[in-house]
Amino acid sequence: MLALTRKVGEQIIIGDNIVITVVDVKGDGVRLGIEAPKEIKIYRGEIYQAVVAENQQATMPIDVEQLDVLKDIVKLPPKAQR
Amino acid sequence: MVIQSTRLGQLDVPDDLIIKFPAGLPGFKDETVFALVPHGNNSPFYFLQSAYDPDLTFLVVEPFDFFSDYEFELSDENQRELDVVDLSQVKVYSIATVKDKVEEMTANLIAPVIVNWKTKIARQVVLEHVPYTTRHRLFPQGFPKNAGGGEK
Repeated sequence: MLALTRKVGEQIIIGDNIVITVVDVKGDGVRLGIEAPKEIKIYRGEIYQAVVAENQQATMPIDVEQLDVLKDIVKLPPKAQR
Repeated sequence: MVIQSTRLGQLDVPDDLIIKFPAGLPGFKDETVFALVPHGNNSPFYFLQSAYDPDLTFLVVEPFDFFSDYEFELSDENQRELDVVDLSQVKVYSIATVKDKVEEMTANLIAPVIVNWKTKIARQVVLEHVPYTTRHRLFPQGFPKNAGGGEK
């Protein structure tokens, strides 16, 4: 991993169109400004990692028969939705 | 399309229930084609079965039946990626996690699966600035006695 030291106001440029600016540093918090094309998805790492972890847990390890109890549950009538 | 599933057996899935995830799903970047298989007649539950990995099956649920206050904004960028012209062509599913007991199953409300039902292009969107997490219990009071709030 590349590690760079930056001061407030300084930037890091990634590729041709991603610019990261150190906006502020307070205590152990760093505020970053990110400019990137719209199609580049930007996530807080812990949120994205939580979704990855949940997806991995959600892959069905259990017997499908266990889910038979759900068969009595039917959709709400459209009126009740939303 | 004929799909092999370790849990569900061989499935002959009509083309209109084949859904493409051009970006895969978080943690499953290479899985781009799935079948949406209803769990039962008129059930809000479905299996999301990978077309090419028989072992990869998710359980998904229509969230609004269980979380009547659930709401979020689909960003312009997400709408563009999914070619959404009209929000009525969008369907929303939440991936469910079952650990030990089925009645303790949870739904991932922070990362809904959004499907453009017209094009069958889908994406699992990670929402920002929402009060939701990856785990919301579907049956916080346990299973309803007379399961299901709807009519048969």
